[in-house]
Order: sequence, then structure tokens, then C-alpha cells
Amino acid sequence: MGQEFVLLVSASIFCVGTVGFIIRKNPLIMFMSIELMLNSVNFLLVAYSSFLNSLDGQIFALFIITVAAAEVVVGLAIILTIFRTRHEMDVDHIDVLKG
Amino acid sequence: MFASSWLILLFPLLGFIGLSWYGNRISRNLVGLVGCGTIGASFFMTLVTLSNLLFLPPEERVGHVQTLYQWVSAGSFKLDVAILVDPLSVFMFLIVTGVGFVIHVYSVGYMHDDPEYSRFFAYLNLFIFSMLVLVAAADFFFLIVGWALVGLASYLLIGFWREKTSAVLAARKAFVMNVIGDVGMVIAALVIFETFGTLNFADVFASAPGMFRPNDDSMLLITLLLLVGAFAKSAQLPLHTWLPDAMEGPTPVSALIHAATMVTAGVYLVARCHVLYELAPYTMYLIAGVGIITAIFAGSMAMFQYDIKRVIAYSTMSQLGYMFLAMGIGVYSLGMFHLMTHAFFKALLFMAAGSVIHSLDGEQDLRKMGGLQSVMPLTHATFLIGALALAGIPLTSGYFSKEAIILSSYHADMGNIVFWAIAVLTAGMTAFYISRVYLFTFFGRLRSPAAHPHESPMIMIIPLLVLAVLALLGGVLGPWVDSFLAPVFGHVAYHPHDNALESIALVVGIGGIATAGLLYMVSKERLDLFKEALAPLYVRPTKAIGAFLEQKAEREGIDFTVDQVGLQIKEVSHGISLWQSGKVRSYALNMIVGVVTILLFVVFM
Repeated sequence: MGQEFVLLVSASIFCVGTVGFIIRKNPLIMFMSIELMLNSVNFLLVAYSSFLNSLDGQIFALFIITVAAAEVVVGLAIILTIFRTRHEMDVDHIDVLKG
Repeated sequence: MFASSWLILLFPLLGFIGLSWYGNRISRNLVGLVGCGTIGASFFMTLVTLSNLLFLPPEERVGHVQTLYQWVSAGSFKLDVAILVDPLSVFMFLIVTGVGFVIHVYSVGYMHDDPEYSRFFAYLNLFIFSMLVLVAAADFFFLIVGWALVGLASYLLIGFWREKTSAVLAARKAFVMNVIGDVGMVIAALVIFETFGTLNFADVFASAPGMFRPNDDSMLLITLLLLVGAFAKSAQLPLHTWLPDAMEGPTPVSALIHAATMVTAGVYLVARCHVLYELAPYTMYLIAGVGIITAIFAGSMAMFQYDIKRVIAYSTMSQLGYMFLAMGIGVYSLGMFHLMTHAFFKALLFMAAGSVIHSLDGEQDLRKMGGLQSVMPLTHATFLIGALALAGIPLTSGYFSKEAIILSSYHADMGNIVFWAIAVLTAGMTAFYISRVYLFTFFGRLRSPAAHPHESPMIMIIPLLVLAVLALLGGVLGPWVDSFLAPVFGHVAYHPHDNALESIALVVGIGGIATAGLLYMVSKERLDLFKEALAPLYVRPTKAIGAFLEQKAEREGIDFTVDQVGLQIKEVSHGISLWQSGKVRSYALNMIVGVVTILLFVVFM
């Protein structure tokens, strides 16, 4: 498994996540896209940790997983509350804070 | 040697905490006993510290820092909770706890019928503690802590009668004006830390003369910023507006905070930082100038007031102006001496006025007083002594301190004839307004038929008598103050003698008294006569100028500009706010475009 391959896979997953975040309107799918982006980076970190014989990358990946878990908790709570009050899940309709 | 000096601060703090927690659950007598007892104990510890200090030879009396514990240690920055014991701080301890104790005892009588008796004493103890923190501080940090705490205590006590709207407003005004000063102090401390790398008094004052030449920019900046705090706290122009309104508070508060102790903090600050001020002669001239202008301005205001406490409040501003004049021309120990005598006779005047107000059920209007001399003989006698000391009649304490400042304003190195002339004129005004108050309060007939005046109880009279003795004889302490403070200021103050100038000042002072007497005879007890006589000469032109300026300068000049600036900013910001669409996905797109642009820039440039 060469470095180019790892980079290509990671970049592809990241792009899928980015595009998914922009084109989908369902907040749950958008959440999954964010997770994709985060995990593409995790993948890269772990792979390079192995290439460079250093544990730093893996520690970083662990940190990212932890923070992502915390962030998901908050995010899901917000989505749940919004659904309860508005009974719909279209992020384009949630624009109360516009200027 | 001074290991027990921290007890001076401990007692008032304990009193404050105890009275706040248990004040409502213990009897009134016990509240009074605790309130006064803590300050009395504090005064006793001050005397112990003083005697320890006097056992040392004069040159070893400075720079004793009693460290209690280290509070902050971050890199090179260290902050100790410490107490500075030197002649200047002990001198202030003596005034704060001594005069404070007397006023506490007086308050027992004055506030006797107040439903929130314990809250009052809790606040008073808090004030004494705060003032002691300010004075005992060994670095700029705790100086500012004390500085802000006395502002808080002053706010709480001015607004003590919180159901009175005017008192609440006055308290807020005092707080805001004091915060302006606090901001100046904080910035000054930051600049000092930036410049010297420490906030410690000893280190800053030791290194300043070697690092800077007189009138270097940073010295001017530091001294001017400190001065903002000093002027706000000591009610000097243009930050004076809160002091007359502060008279809404109970009279013991006016006597303690707004005459004897807190308002002198600015003078103390200049005295404490005199090393820095000597490196900034321009600032010294400014201090002297503002001091003397405040003195005459406040003196002229006091001449026209009808409210007995307001007259004394303006008089306080005026006397503080004298103290700043003394600081500005470099005769520090004379300024501190006047601070002391002023604490005696002004606290006395306030408390005697309070005794009058008390017996007239809260009446403060001079037009409704009169004829109290026969009903309140002891109050009358003590007020007379205070008035004589304020007017600077020979052999009273005020004569020694004020006359020395007036003479120095001409004979000191930085003095000149203009300072002297204004100082003498102000002395004449002082004699006039205090005689006016005295005559209209105690002579003639009582102009308020409903009132039933009576002499105040002994617990109020005894503090008056104590202060009357001090106000009368305090002048003999002058040479002692000079030599006691000399180690701090580095030299013994020079006392000029000039019989010609002294007699002119005396004649002007007696002239002021005579004018007041003449006014009293002519006016047949109508106080507004004097004001009416001057109205066409002075009041109407001033009002006309004011109306003209309001239309031309304020409405069409300042207001228009300010409004236009606001409107234009509103227009522009409305345009920008359209970017905020509220759509999460467009934000995400913007972010991605931004990140990609930056990446491309980094990679290809």
C-alpha cells in the first residue's frame, strides 16, 4: 500500500463528505458527511503514523474520535429539538438568524 | 517587628463579615458594640505599630513589607499579599482608624432609629477595611483593589437609604465617576508593569530615577494616568460632580468617607508615588494648577448653597484643592498635615451639622434653620471650633496647615505669585461661606415653626467634643508630622516665614468673616438676597451664553455630527448583513471556497 494510494483514498472520501454536506438538505445525512470528512483525516493520520514509525498520528486520531463523539452528542440533541418544534428536517428552512 | 500589623486590617473585615451574617439576629446594642469595637481594636493595633515604628531610628523606618503569603507566582510576575509599614501608611492608618472610630461612635447615636442599623455598620466596617487595604498596599495591584473597594463601599453608603430615588441616583453617579478613575489607574498599572516589569512600590520607585530623565514620555504617561484616578477619587475638576450629590447619604458617611478619609486617597496616591511625580515636573504643575482652580471654584460654589451639607461638601473639594496644590509644589508633608487637620475639623463640621439635621428631623435647608445657639449649646460650640479651624483663625489647627501651604505656594521652588494670590482669595471665600452657615444656623430666630429642636444625645456629643479638641489643638502636631514623614519624602519640609504675606492672608480671612457678618445684618435673615444681588451681574449673561451654545454648538454641531456618523454606519452595516443568509449550506460553501482559495494561494505562490 503506497503513500499515493492512501492519499488518494483519503482525498476521495473527504471530497465525498464535502460534496455531500453541500448538496444534501437532511441534517442527519449532513452529519454523516461530516463524519466522513473526519474519518478520512483519521485514516490519513493512522496511515502516516505507520509510515513514519511514530505514534503521534494515532494519538491525534484518538483525539479526533473523542471530540467527534462529543460533537455528535450536541449536534444530535440540536437536530432532535429542531425536529420536535418544527416537524420538518430541511436545513434550508431553518434560517431564523439571517441578517 | 511588625508581625501583628495585619490585625489592623483583620478586625474591620471580621466586623463586616460578622455583621453581614448575624447582624439581624443580634440586639442593636451588640451591633453598635461590634461595629465600634472592631474599629477601636484596629486603632489600638495601629498605636502598637506606631510605637514599634517610633522605636526605630528615623532612617530605618521605611520599607517594612510584612508579607502574609504569596498569592500569584507566574514566571517573573509575583504578587504577595503584604502590608507596607512605613511612616506614611501608619500616618494614614492613624487617621482612618482614629477618626473612623470617633465617627462610628457618633453613628451609634445618629442612626439609632434606623430600621437597618446592622447593615449600616456592616458597610461602615467594610469601608474601613477597604481604606486600610488601599493604604497598606505594597504594590499597585492591591492599591487598585483597595481603590475599587472604597468606591464600592462609598456607593453602598451613599445609596444606603435605598427607597429614596435621589440617593440611589447619587450613588450610581458616584460609582460611575469613580470607575472612570479606576480605569485610569488600571491602565497606569499596566503601563507600569510594561515599563518596569513589576508592580511592587519598592522596586518601581527604586529603579525609576535611574531609568528616566525628568519629563520623559513614559513618566508623564504614568503620572497622568494615575492622576485620573486621584482626581476622580478626590473630586477635583473635572471629575468632581459626584461629591456634592454624595451628600444624599447619612451624615456620618459624609463625615467619614466624603470628608476625612476616602476623598483624601488621591492626595495619598500622589504622596506615595512622589518619586514618579518628581520625574514629571509638568504633571506637578498640572496638579498644582488643577488643585488651586478646584479650590477657588468649589469655594465660590459653596458661597451660594442653601443646603448645609452641600456647603461643607464644596468646602471639602476646596480644601482638597489646597492639598493637591501642596503636592504639586512639592511640599508633601504640608499636604499630609493639612489632610490630617482637615480630617479633624471637616469631620467635626459634618458631624455638628449632622447633629443639627438630626434635631430638626432631617431638615438640611439653611433657610429653615436659625436660632439654634441657645437650644444646642454643645453642638454650637463644637461647630464654632470647626468653623474657626476651617476659616484658618490663628492658633486653631487649620491655621497652621493652611497658612503653611499658602505661604509655600509662593516661597516653594515651584510656587509663584499667582498660586499664592488665588490661594489667599480662596481662604477669604472659605472664611465667608463657613461664617455664613454658622450665623444663619445658630443665630436669629428659627425659621421653621414646626420644628422642635433639642440637643443631641451624649453618644453624639462626646465624639464631637473629642474632634473639637483635635481640631483646636491639632496644629501643634505640625513639626512632628514633618519629621515623622521626612524618611518617606526624603527631606524635612521647609517652613518659610514671611510676615507681610501672612498678615495679608489673615486680613483677607477676617475680611471674609466680616463680609458674612455684614450680609447677616443687612439681609435680615433672608439668604437669597446675596444671590439676587449678583444675578444680573453674573447669572443672566452665563445663562444667555449657555442657551446660545446649546443651539449652535450642541444641536447643530455635536449632535448633527454624531447622528450622521451613526446613520452612515447603519447604512453600511445593513448592506453587509445581507451576507448572513441564515442558510447553513451557503455558509459551508463559503468556508470551502475560502479554504480552497487559501490553499491554492499557499501552494502556488
